[in-house]
Amino acid sequence: MSPDNLDIQNSLDKDLIASVTDLKVYFESKQGMVHSVDGVSFDIVDGEMMGLVGETGCGKSVTARTFMQLVQSPPGMLAGGNIKFRSKNIKNGSQVIDLLDLSENQIRELRGERIAMIFQDPGKALNPGLTIRTQVAEVFQEHRENDVLEEAGLKNKLTGVTEYFVKKYIKQEAGFLVTTLFKIPPLSTYKKKIDSGINRLVAEALEETQIPNPTKVMERYPHELSGGMKQRVMIAQAIACNPDLLIADEPTTALDVTVQARVLDLIKELQKRHKTSVLYISHDLSLVRRICDRIAVMYAGQIVETGDAETIFNQPKHPYTQGLINALPSMSHERGKLEAIEGIVPELIEPEPGCRFVSRCMRRKANCEEIDPKLKPISEVNKSHKVACLLYEA
Amino acid sequence: MSNSKNTILSLRNVKKHFPIKEGVFQNVVGQVHAVDGVSFDIGAGETVGLVGESGCGKTTIGRCVSGLEPLTDGDIFFDLTPEKLVALEDFEKHQSEIKNKYLIDEIQSTSNISKIEGDDFYNYRRNCQMVFQDSFSSLSPRQLVSDIVSRPLKIHKVCADNELIPRTIELLEQVGLGKQHLYRFPHQFSGGQRQRISIARALALDPKLIVLDEPTSALDVSVQAQILNLLHDLQKQRGLSYLFITHNLSVIRHMADKIVVMYLGKVVEAGKTEDIFANPQHPYTKALLAASPDLSEDVMSDMAALDGPIPDPARPPQGCSFRTRCPVSRTECGWEVDDIIRRLEHHETLIDSIKSVHQPDAFNAKLTFETSLSAIELKDVVGTKDIPKQMRKAIKKIEVKGNDVNISFDPVQTVPLVQSENGSLSRCVLANK
Ligand SMILES: Nc1ncnc2c1ncn2[C@@H]1O[C@H](COP(=O)(O)OP(=O)(O)OP(=O)(O)O)[C@@H](O)[C@H]1O
Ligand SMILES: Nc1ncnc2c1ncn2[C@@H]1O[C@H](COP(=O)(O)OP(=O)(O)OP(=O)(O)O)[C@@H](O)[C@H]1O
Ligand code: SF4
Ligand code: SF4
Ligand SMILES: [Mg+2]
Ligand SMILES: [Mg+2]
Repeated sequence: MSPDNLDIQNSLDKDLIASVTDLKVYFESKQGMVHSVDGVSFDIVDGEMMGLVGETGCGKSVTARTFMQLVQSPPGMLAGGNIKFRSKNIKNGSQVIDLLDLSENQIRELRGERIAMIFQDPGKALNPGLTIRTQVAEVFQEHRENDVLEEAGLKNKLTGVTEYFVKKYIKQEAGFLVTTLFKIPPLSTYKKKIDSGINRLVAEALEETQIPNPTKVMERYPHELSGGMKQRVMIAQAIACNPDLLIADEPTTALDVTVQARVLDLIKELQKRHKTSVLYISHDLSLVRRICDRIAVMYAGQIVETGDAETIFNQPKHPYTQGLINALPSMSHERGKLEAIEGIVPELIEPEPGCRFVSRCMRRKANCEEIDPKLKPISEVNKSHKVACLLYEA
Repeated sequence: MSNSKNTILSLRNVKKHFPIKEGVFQNVVGQVHAVDGVSFDIGAGETVGLVGESGCGKTTIGRCVSGLEPLTDGDIFFDLTPEKLVALEDFEKHQSEIKNKYLIDEIQSTSNISKIEGDDFYNYRRNCQMVFQDSFSSLSPRQLVSDIVSRPLKIHKVCADNELIPRTIELLEQVGLGKQHLYRFPHQFSGGQRQRISIARALALDPKLIVLDEPTSALDVSVQAQILNLLHDLQKQRGLSYLFITHNLSVIRHMADKIVVMYLGKVVEAGKTEDIFANPQHPYTKALLAASPDLSEDVMSDMAALDGPIPDPARPPQGCSFRTRCPVSRTECGWEVDDIIRRLEHHETLIDSIKSVHQPDAFNAKLTFETSLSAIELKDVVGTKDIPKQMRKAIKKIEVKGNDVNISFDPVQTVPLVQSENGSLSRCVLANK
């Protein structure tokens, strides 16, 4: 490990699995630099569920994709900050790394193994040319070799070259020659066992997300599934990874309440069973309140308020958070009239200094246009409830 | 109908089945009954909300309405005058008396979306727009936003070339975007922004009907409120109609005049929004309302998930299709042999020892086991609580003969959609009482 890695290690609190500090991700465009993520900081407590909420376009997905180094560059560029992550490798013990410093190979190893992501667009994340089975099977083949062996009834039964070949075969790393060997006895018997073992695992994973008739659905292609079914395929993939950190970007938007309830249960189960931490991105505040331990509210590329879920809901401090809570459609509103927050999100191109919410804020003060509010604890007593608003700066 | 308004859309027994193909030769081995006999009307200036579980056929209906999927059966009519609607209903009731055959023929050739041509077709195309559920794949990745939104304006020549861009900007502003977004590609936007581009495109031609498939599911509450208010205003100003597909019940409650609840390709309840919320009739609707987070008082209560196996839409159950998960199911709900098999999941060895199944119809079957012991075991299992009481009571006969078990149920017709006391339609034996 390099010396500066050691340095970082010292600075990640024991109870955290990840910590984002002053993250800045910009995009080049004809009109100028788009400051999509502009100084974002938040922590994810180990084993907890962290909710990231905010208006559409405020930078939630870009933040999430940055965890996995999935922001395309150019036009994207990392303009600053770091994401510290505790990698719980069984062999080396836990080790703190900066996700943004990793090489492409290193991050690829982490992806799926330690960090899994459910993407917002199922249409984009699934390969249209492969069956569902192939796509879910890949997860088991790449990351859960031992479970495949167990399911195939081959665990601890193989030795030497056979074991080596079988593992290669599972990982689909076998070359032409080995693949041919698997077509003839004695290896062909293993092939059969492995293939049907994988099929069972895939069917089970799909069934867990309440996809009806998984053994048939897995033979289909993505375009033959409904929106919600595609979304569940992605969820099944991510959960099958048994990750340490699950990043779920609007995972249940296409699901009706009853299936949503099941999926949330699944995520909770994973959290308990595997001590998985979750970054749950959603615009649905009432949902996030139900399932998350803590919430970070994002606006125009910045975190404007963070704290534990109940506090944010019952005592929102930032005018934007307050507006969000008021805009929730509830049974008491008159039909057809909802309280929208007036105005639109400011352009994130070369933003002016000052509070980004100022054009829409009902409580703005004279200096709100000049001074950048900083994310600070609201009081000495409750250090975990932080807000970025001049109203609360002494 | 005594209404003097036109009916913008009328679905009459619409069916859409997709073939299931298997194997190297892609032989058709069955049909997914995605939409299985759906009927409802949308009046001018009206919003109909379509709700139901994921995979129940909502998007497929939207695509059928937009002319993107040929129907397997049934008809969809666009823009019917009250007289025409009455004539159609009349004709369906008394097929034999073809007294106004000429009128029916005219309706078919001018309003049936799978038969119209020429000006009528053009009129329908222009006046029926769709906002797709998956905004990513419905926007062409290589087109700039300015082209995407202005394309319909160009094709239908609704404004002069020099007005094109101002009009496009106006449309973008309506959905909370602006001129700074004109020259960007779809992938440069967030999920919610893309959804709004689709909405702007759908509004471009000032259509009579917009099919909105989960239009606000990627939007946060504040922008959602903005879009819903916009849709509402447009409706008031121009008498637009919406087919509003969503699983979000509080949104539906704000938007819809009427609600159609679907389950497994069929309508299970339909009626006025107030009636359905105040007094839901069908057990599935009740479950949906109970599970909806915004509607329940106690927000921290456990969200109720429906239990029980979800049937395969390729083999939809007879009788009532909700019975496998219905919390109040009864003996007469149409149980069949498959229900027993579905309940055997905890008895894997028993399933494995089934040698063959001879099933002349859904209600009768002969299961042959490898041993007579297994045959007896099946009969025992049917007597335990793994099989719900209602289902057990519905068994007419179960007898063991050597390795065989003969099972039969009383055959039951598909439960019909009937008027219930609050005026809405419900497909449940309880409503027939
Ligand atoms: N490739 C890109 N080029 C230019 N701008 C981009 C690009 N990708 C994202 N952006 C911009 O970055 C901002 C943040 O986008 P992001 O996808 O993170 O939003 P989000 O919070 O996930 O919104 P939503 O809730 O709608 O999904 C948006 O304003 C978007 O236009
Ligand atoms: N092209 C196709 N080929 C085969 N089956 C299809 C096709 N399109 C849809 N289906 C099937 O039809 C059924 C209904 O799908 P549909 O997309 O209409 O559901 P939905 O109600 O919109 O669900 P969601 O809420 O998840 O979007 C599903 O079982 C789906 O797998
Ligand atoms: S800093 Fe000023 S403008 Fe910004 S949220 Fe606070 S009061 Fe409103
Ligand atoms: S008919 Fe009614 S009571 Fe019977 S299963 Fe169906 S929904 Fe339930
Ligand atoms: Mg997003
Ligand atoms: Mg759909």
